[in-house]
Amino acid sequence: MRKRIGIVLTMAVLGACATPGPYETPKTPPTPEQEPGAPVETQPGSPPTTIEGSQPLPEPTSREPVLGPASRALVDHAHVQLASKNYAVAAGSIERALRIEPGNALLWIELAKVRQAEGNYVQAENLARKAISMSIQAPRTQARAWQLVADTYRARGKNIEAQEAEEKARSLTRR
Amino acid sequence: MRISKKLKKYRRQIWTGLALVFGVSLIALIVWIFHLDRTITTQFEGRRWSLPAQVYAEPTELYIGSAFSADEIERELKRLGYRRVQELEDPGSYRRRGAEIELINRRFRFWDALQEPQKLTISATASGIQSMRNGRGEDVPIFRLDPLLIGSIFPIHGEDRIIVRPDEVSRLLPAALKVVEDRKFDSHHGVDLAAILRAAWVNLRAGEIQQGGSTLTQQLVKSYFLDSRRTFGRKIEEAMMAVLLEIHFEKQDLMNAYINEIYLGQDGRRAIHGFGLASQFYFGKPAAELQLHEVALLVAIVRGPSYYDPRRHPKRARARRDLVLKLMAEHGVISEEQAERAIERPLGVVSSSTRAGGYYPAFLDLVRRTLRRDYREEDLTEAGLKIFSTLSPYAQSKAEEALAQELERLEKARKQKREQPLQGVVVITRPQNGEVVAVVGGRDAGFEGFNRALDAKRSIGSLVKPVIYLAALETGRYHAASIVEDGPVEVKLSNTRVWRPQNISEEFYGPVPLVRALAQSLNLATVRLGLEVGLPEVLGEFQKLGLERELPQLPSVLLGAIDVSPFEVAQLYNAFANGGFDARLRAVRAVLDSEGKPLKSFGLEVSPVADPAAVYQLNQMLVQVMERGSGRRARSYLPSGLVVAGKSGTSSDYRDSWFAGFSGSHLVVVWIGYDDNTSTGLTGSSGSLSVWSRVMSALHTTSLNAPMPEGLEERWIEFGTGLAARPGCGEEVIRMPLPLDVELPPAEGCEVGVFDSIGERARKWWRGIVR
Repeated sequence: MRKRIGIVLTMAVLGACATPGPYETPKTPPTPEQEPGAPVETQPGSPPTTIEGSQPLPEPTSREPVLGPASRALVDHAHVQLASKNYAVAAGSIERALRIEPGNALLWIELAKVRQAEGNYVQAENLARKAISMSIQAPRTQARAWQLVADTYRARGKNIEAQEAEEKARSLTRR
Repeated sequence: MRISKKLKKYRRQIWTGLALVFGVSLIALIVWIFHLDRTITTQFEGRRWSLPAQVYAEPTELYIGSAFSADEIERELKRLGYRRVQELEDPGSYRRRGAEIELINRRFRFWDALQEPQKLTISATASGIQSMRNGRGEDVPIFRLDPLLIGSIFPIHGEDRIIVRPDEVSRLLPAALKVVEDRKFDSHHGVDLAAILRAAWVNLRAGEIQQGGSTLTQQLVKSYFLDSRRTFGRKIEEAMMAVLLEIHFEKQDLMNAYINEIYLGQDGRRAIHGFGLASQFYFGKPAAELQLHEVALLVAIVRGPSYYDPRRHPKRARARRDLVLKLMAEHGVISEEQAERAIERPLGVVSSSTRAGGYYPAFLDLVRRTLRRDYREEDLTEAGLKIFSTLSPYAQSKAEEALAQELERLEKARKQKREQPLQGVVVITRPQNGEVVAVVGGRDAGFEGFNRALDAKRSIGSLVKPVIYLAALETGRYHAASIVEDGPVEVKLSNTRVWRPQNISEEFYGPVPLVRALAQSLNLATVRLGLEVGLPEVLGEFQKLGLERELPQLPSVLLGAIDVSPFEVAQLYNAFANGGFDARLRAVRAVLDSEGKPLKSFGLEVSPVADPAAVYQLNQMLVQVMERGSGRRARSYLPSGLVVAGKSGTSSDYRDSWFAGFSGSHLVVVWIGYDDNTSTGLTGSSGSLSVWSRVMSALHTTSLNAPMPEGLEERWIEFGTGLAARPGCGEEVIRMPLPLDVELPPAEGCEVGVFDSIGERARKWWRGIVR
């Protein structure tokens, strides 16, 4: 009932300046922590839909990943192995960590770095792209992944693509 | 006189003849002995045994924060044959005090590192592992237990073994063998004449073979070089070879050879040879850890592995075991007291279903096929390779159990009795890295034969639909709320025939949004969508997702009239579950040679195969299948709050019942049907779904929670119409991710959507006033 009144009131207030037209969607970025079916009252007010950059958007909840203690130990081990060029062992160690935390973008980046060091640039790029897809809400991590994509392009002499990827990395760190 | 004269005359010739015969025989004997000698030395000194490749399950990783409770850790240790003790001394044992478990692990060479035995103290609550410390009191963040040996790749003749070195077996074993089988082993020269005569006398009096007089060396020869025919000639040959062996080799080498050679049991097609494998087969642990009563049982079995089979004839086996123990005491190998205590102990044989070294033919078949690409068959069956597989014994046993029980239930629910059993398959993978953790190839999982998981190519019905919808989403012209007409479809086939597909209900549903068409598995809407997108594009999508096969250029493909194996379905769906990345399914992580040198590792490789935003939308539509479509019956089985996505499939005439779906960390594919392709009367959701949900709920799995890709936003729409809505406005309102630029007409009564954000503020303002 209350909602009805609210709607009616809104209609009344805004009716004058409303031009009947196609249904428009408010371009509101979703708030990450919002659960499906969460009470409407807890939603924050919509941010103004201005052109990007002219006014800073409210900071989306950053979810920069961190490594658990087990993954940390395995990644440290991998770094040691990487330093002595034991690529298979280094990769194996990170794969162990990935079995524990398959959704952790940092681990995909670590695996990509092993492949990059090994000279397997295509796999390095693919793994970095996997990291990108898993770090949508973590701009710092995603920037690192894009930088890695850029590195793999550069290693293959694809400088234009490398620059584009670097630009993506930079725009994320600016955010 | 004449005769004697004649004799005299021929005496020389007779003697010459006799000498000649003798000489030739002697030469023949010498040649024969040399031949035997060569046979022995070349075979015995060269590679002494062909060693089947040993296959290990994935090791259990213990780490702080893992969900293992103390009970679960203990169960794991028992599965590995660890012994519970009061005081920790040896590898392979553990001690438990409430929530704290102390263990000493076994020495094990992993493909990437050698793990020495060390003491580990784990404290775990019901929610998981809290801390782990080593013997020096240092924190251990992660630790892997030695993996379960799950089987081997043995040759056609079925001989399987695990080689043990003399220092890897209990000293009691050779002592017991000597006492029971060959008391003069240390002094004879290969044959024990006294023993043979004694045995002959006993057998003569009894009128049957009661005793054998063969020495251990003779038994070894018989098992190693000869077949089992018992002829006099064979006996002579055997004795001769035994003598030759004794000349060439030390007693200790012969004992060690015996321990590794002798036949000790049968497991289907697999012949269990040597005490190393027998120890795994009967007790689920390495031979080094055998205790007195266990040693005695194995020695008892030597005399007749089938007659004294401890699983089938426990009484017989026990009587003979006790006899062995008494003999050991009698001859001073052990004390009377030790023998008495050992006689008190039960047989202690692990059941064949839970045993370590359990037998997973369908999974091993996959391993073998994987490796056949890189290795010759002989390398696998002879070269002693160690293969580190991806099998999770836990997931495998849950899958076997769920399939067997549900098939039984489904058959009971049926009125008509069928002559053939209902069959089924379960394949489980980890989508993120493509590892295959379980493969059940049939109802009787231990039966080795037709591997349905890999070889049963069956019609997949509606399981194809997600591929078509993905192809549509990837064009960028469609989204979850796009409308497609579910009405009569006619396709002219080239040869004047017309194809008129139907919905299962034989009704038409009119204009429906994609999300509903997929969730309710509407055939006509799907065919129309597939034809709009284009058959070549849809077929191309299959190739992109990893189906390595040419498909017929027929519109009936749109309704799943293609024959695909459960394993191939897993590969297709793995790409969905992995957010549009392909990870080749693999069953092997690494291979070591017999010296422990890494030969090959199968590293994780991924490649992007589909637009992540399209896959994300598809997956959310597949979540709706579980929420309000053909998968909703799974809800009652699954842990509440677990987000999963999936799709059912039913082929024409109910020949095949499929369900394929995934959580955040597992993909499960289930097929049910008859081998002769007759009707089961089951749909995907009335058959396979129940197996699927039982498996999924038994796995410690996580919700599907991939982050939403850029360019999408979540919107409220009506499930039935695809019109824009809000909670409290519109019918069956759901949240779906849609591309940012999509404009949706509002549902009836939801028109104020145009002022959504402003209306929201107004409402808050109003609420502020009325409060």
